[in-house]
Amino acid sequence: MNGIQLAAFIAGGVRLALPVLFAAVGELVSQRAGVLNLSLEGMMLTGAFGAAVGTALTGSAVLGVCAGMAVALLFAAGQAFLTVIAGANQLVVGIAANALALGFTTFVARHLLGDGAADRFAGFDKMRIPLLHDLPLVGEGVFGQSSLAYVGLGLVAFTLFVLKCTGWGLAVTAVGEDAHASDRAGTPVRLVRTLAILWTGAMAGFGGAFIALADVHAFTQNMTAGRGYLAIVAVIAGAWVGWRVVIACLVFGAATALQFQASALNIHVPVALLVMSPYILALLAVAGLVGRQRPPRNLTLPFLR
Amino acid sequence: MIAANTVATRATATLRPLTIPFLATLAAFALGLVLIVVAGAPLGDALRALQDGMYGTPYALGASLNTAALLALVGGGFIVAARCGLTNVGGEGQINIGALAATAIGLHGAAHLPPPLPVVMPLAFAIGAGAAWGAIAGALKAWRGTNEVISTLLMNFVAIGLVSVAVHEQSLLRQPATSAQTLPYSPPLPEVSHLALLPLGGGAQGTIGIVIAAFVLISVAVLVRHSAFGLKLRSVALGKQAAARAGISPGAMEIAALAIAGGAAGLAGGILMLSTPFILRDGFSSGYGFQGLVVGLLARGSATGVALAALLFGFLDTGGISLEVGVGVPSTVILIVEAVIVITIAASAGLGVGRSKQRRVVS
Amino acid sequence: MNMLHRIDSSDLPRAPLQLAAPSSALSLELRSVTKRFGAVTALDDVSLEVRAGSVHCVLGENGAGKSTLCGLVFGTQRPDAGEIRVDGKTLDARRPADALARGIAMVHQHFSLVGTLTVAENLALGGLHRRRGVREAAQRLHELGERYDLRVDPNAVVEQLSVGERQRVEILKALSSEPHLLVLDEPTAVLPPGEIASLLQLCRRIADDGRAVVLVTHKLGEARAVAERATVLRGGRSVATLDLDSVDDDELVRLMVGRDVGATGGAVAAALGLTAGSGARPIEAPVSTCDGPPAISVSGLTLEAGGRAPILDGISIEVRAGEIVGLAGVEGNGQSELARILAGAQAATRGELCLAGHDVAELQPRELAALGLAVIPEDRHTEACIEGLSIAENLVLGELPQYSRFGLLRRGAIAARAKQLMSDWDVRAPGPGVAMKTLSGGNQQRVVLARELSRDPLVAVLAAQPTRGLDVGAVVGVLTRLRAAATRGAGVLIISSELPELLATCHRIAVIHRGRIVGEVLPSEPGALERIGTLMSVGAVQS
Repeated sequence: MNGIQLAAFIAGGVRLALPVLFAAVGELVSQRAGVLNLSLEGMMLTGAFGAAVGTALTGSAVLGVCAGMAVALLFAAGQAFLTVIAGANQLVVGIAANALALGFTTFVARHLLGDGAADRFAGFDKMRIPLLHDLPLVGEGVFGQSSLAYVGLGLVAFTLFVLKCTGWGLAVTAVGEDAHASDRAGTPVRLVRTLAILWTGAMAGFGGAFIALADVHAFTQNMTAGRGYLAIVAVIAGAWVGWRVVIACLVFGAATALQFQASALNIHVPVALLVMSPYILALLAVAGLVGRQRPPRNLTLPFLR
Repeated sequence: MIAANTVATRATATLRPLTIPFLATLAAFALGLVLIVVAGAPLGDALRALQDGMYGTPYALGASLNTAALLALVGGGFIVAARCGLTNVGGEGQINIGALAATAIGLHGAAHLPPPLPVVMPLAFAIGAGAAWGAIAGALKAWRGTNEVISTLLMNFVAIGLVSVAVHEQSLLRQPATSAQTLPYSPPLPEVSHLALLPLGGGAQGTIGIVIAAFVLISVAVLVRHSAFGLKLRSVALGKQAAARAGISPGAMEIAALAIAGGAAGLAGGILMLSTPFILRDGFSSGYGFQGLVVGLLARGSATGVALAALLFGFLDTGGISLEVGVGVPSTVILIVEAVIVITIAASAGLGVGRSKQRRVVS
Repeated sequence: MNMLHRIDSSDLPRAPLQLAAPSSALSLELRSVTKRFGAVTALDDVSLEVRAGSVHCVLGENGAGKSTLCGLVFGTQRPDAGEIRVDGKTLDARRPADALARGIAMVHQHFSLVGTLTVAENLALGGLHRRRGVREAAQRLHELGERYDLRVDPNAVVEQLSVGERQRVEILKALSSEPHLLVLDEPTAVLPPGEIASLLQLCRRIADDGRAVVLVTHKLGEARAVAERATVLRGGRSVATLDLDSVDDDELVRLMVGRDVGATGGAVAAALGLTAGSGARPIEAPVSTCDGPPAISVSGLTLEAGGRAPILDGISIEVRAGEIVGLAGVEGNGQSELARILAGAQAATRGELCLAGHDVAELQPRELAALGLAVIPEDRHTEACIEGLSIAENLVLGELPQYSRFGLLRRGAIAARAKQLMSDWDVRAPGPGVAMKTLSGGNQQRVVLARELSRDPLVAVLAAQPTRGLDVGAVVGVLTRLRAAATRGAGVLIISSELPELLATCHRIAVIHRGRIVGEVLPSEPGALERIGTLMSVGAVQS
């Protein structure tokens, strides 16, 4: 494969990794606080849907993104209420919420967007950052994405910073490790978990909006196609550590890009194997074969005083 | 007199936990009606179509029971694992791997054996494959302490991927390519491997899978509540160290529990393969695994609960298809109704658990 | 007779820091507080008053309601009736953060620290509205450490600290919020005698700074050493509030236990942390003389810890049939590991282990049980029994093949056996099908004893911290049953940190320190308690 192909591969990989990255970093916050959001897929889908409808109605892509995030936030609020306040089983709620999101968005999409669902609407076009864009190989991939991508990357950096360096991030970690001890130390456990889930919703909504507006410029049924689950897997594969999750997302993005470009690059690997590779990688990670780590001790356990 | 009293108390005790799911179903149904109206279909026609689709015709009844059987198997396996404190999220993958094994054996070898082996062999291999798939997660838990929610979740995708590879490759299970348009499906399983139909009459397509599922569910109920094995599972779930001191091996129990759960789901996959359309392809399991998981979670450890939930969702699923075909209301309405039922039950279960906690008095 | 002398302000190295003008204001007031859990009334119409600048003791045996009281003050529970007032204003705490906001801090019995975080990070946790960075927390640690002479490395990860160090962190955390009221819940349970005195001095110092200190304990000796006034709880009721100077020990014991203790006075006093006074009987000599192999024989037992000092280093102990041997030591010196190795739950790196002459180093717990070893594990809740199962299920769990047919449980036979054991061993419960977790600690321990000591043959008994968390009646019962087992010919090894109980029960007491046996003391020696205490803390007796 030559330089042009490699550059295209890198660009494609980054582009495919981005929505997963946004959702994964959001989910990281929840999981560190002890909540496993199986409904991440639903949050992204709702975000994509909201963004599509918002853009179609207002003609402005920016408002569309806001709409997408708002709708996903609403979804996350419901999840937060059920999981944290009502104390319902996280797994049941997650799966049911996904089904609800899928059903709802499909149903409403058929009505609001009608047969014009495949119509393209306003979106975000690619940017060209001067000078850096012309770097060989990585130039286009890293510095030629849409403006929305850079906003998203800013959010990612902000989230990771808060997690690692502030009191809020410390509270999140403490709650995920030992909710009862944190409670006795005065940390508002329920509030922390609720805020974590809401942040996940916002980031997932952003990721979904990205898919709709910056990637595809349309809304199709079930357009997130498993990327929400992939984001959860990225958090697991990254061992709940910020920068490792970012790497995992990039690797998954590369694997996805490879699916489309394998034949063009003369690499003969069954597509399905590439599809499986993220999950196998994550499995190896949790089996402790690729570095030793363990999940937050309170993951999936509800907090009951 | 005493007997009548006891019967009354036991009846109330059995019925009371059902009030919430019952109310939840009603509420969700009301929502569904609203959606049907929004979709523009006449309410009366829609309800009739739904009813017909669920049990109105013998065909529908058979189809509903078939689906219910699959869900009951996955849910039943789930509660065995849950008895050991383990949550099996891998039903979808275990169905896939079971179907894969059943198809492989069914297409390569079982057909020439004397009956009933062409049916028994694929099912046996399906159980074995599902059990092995579950056992892997169990071993990871026992030896590496890996959270089984995560490992079974991941193995779902791996199994789905393996099926995908198998049906895309000529050398594996793909049907012979006659043109560029040949779909990535397996060839259909030979007739000797088809599951016998139950004599329900009127063109019903209910298979003996229903009987198998009922049998498995009853066995699960006995195993979990009345057997020494069931007590050992429970002891590992509630007190690993004390159980080890009593001579029970927690690792062995965990592997066994997930193997049973996987085997049951694998059996569901095998049954699915040996029923129409007898073809293995991407997405054939269409969410039965996750639905079965929900059935298991809602049942809260009770085999009766599994049966009821499986029947509810089995009928709703089949009814939804008819809704779409009959009056053009998207079947996603049913999806929404089911999701709302589940969420309502889960939320009330969560609130209920918080309230009636019995506290041991600590000094 | 008490090892702890009365501490007063003149003992302290520094002048007290007056936080506020000394006043007789009431820091804490409970007015007719009642708390119920289902059908059980944990606290019934309890009232008490604590003044600023004083140490107030809440005395009561295990099960009297002390922990519930702590929970109400700190906000993890809410009272069903009555009122709690702090600094004159009503306290309506729905969660610990509310209590902290009102200036209440608590040193929990089982600590409230997040293990994977460092000391400084734990201190930085707290209400999010108080944005305290980790660096500030480290600074605070330093200041408090200077003031109260409590030093800990701020960057140490909590789960790697010893129990004593963790308690220091717990105390510092409580102090760092500048509380007006500090509640300590059974703080001395994990400390050796020497450190207990320092802790009590610390309480005095904190009180002299103008704060109110509430010490919740069942140890009379400690109460006398540091508190002016005490409230005695019994069965959830407050039976007396008094100046500790005005009553003697016997009266206090009577108030706490509710009856005249009479002949069992030695054990009761022991359970309440008083050394056996003149009221104790000397224990009888062992029944059998040494014929035959010893019941338990440990020789050169070593447990390596990979890189660090070995956890157990050449332990050798012998327990003859009919003998009761005690093993005293501060928690964390290897006793827990020794108990687990003897019970077959863990393997030693090397060494010999014999049960009545058989080499048992490689055997599993079940096989050891068959050979006649009874084990009362240290942690009742996780090792000894399964709280979620019923009494009957716990009793037969180790013998399931005997109680099942074709894999199905023989419920009738199980229930019959359970009922018999419950009656023989005085387990008070509605029936054998009741869940273990609804039983009190004492009853749970009786079930464990029933299961273990009813073995036939009974060759040896290993009891690790068998009286922890039990009320006085249960303590007496456990010690009596252990003595009875020895009389029947078993060799009994009791591992415990309750020195008075060991002195009242054992024929001889070995002391473990840093994984080695550092000495052996006979209870009948004068100054036995002091010698044991020194050996426990320091590892050698200074002459």
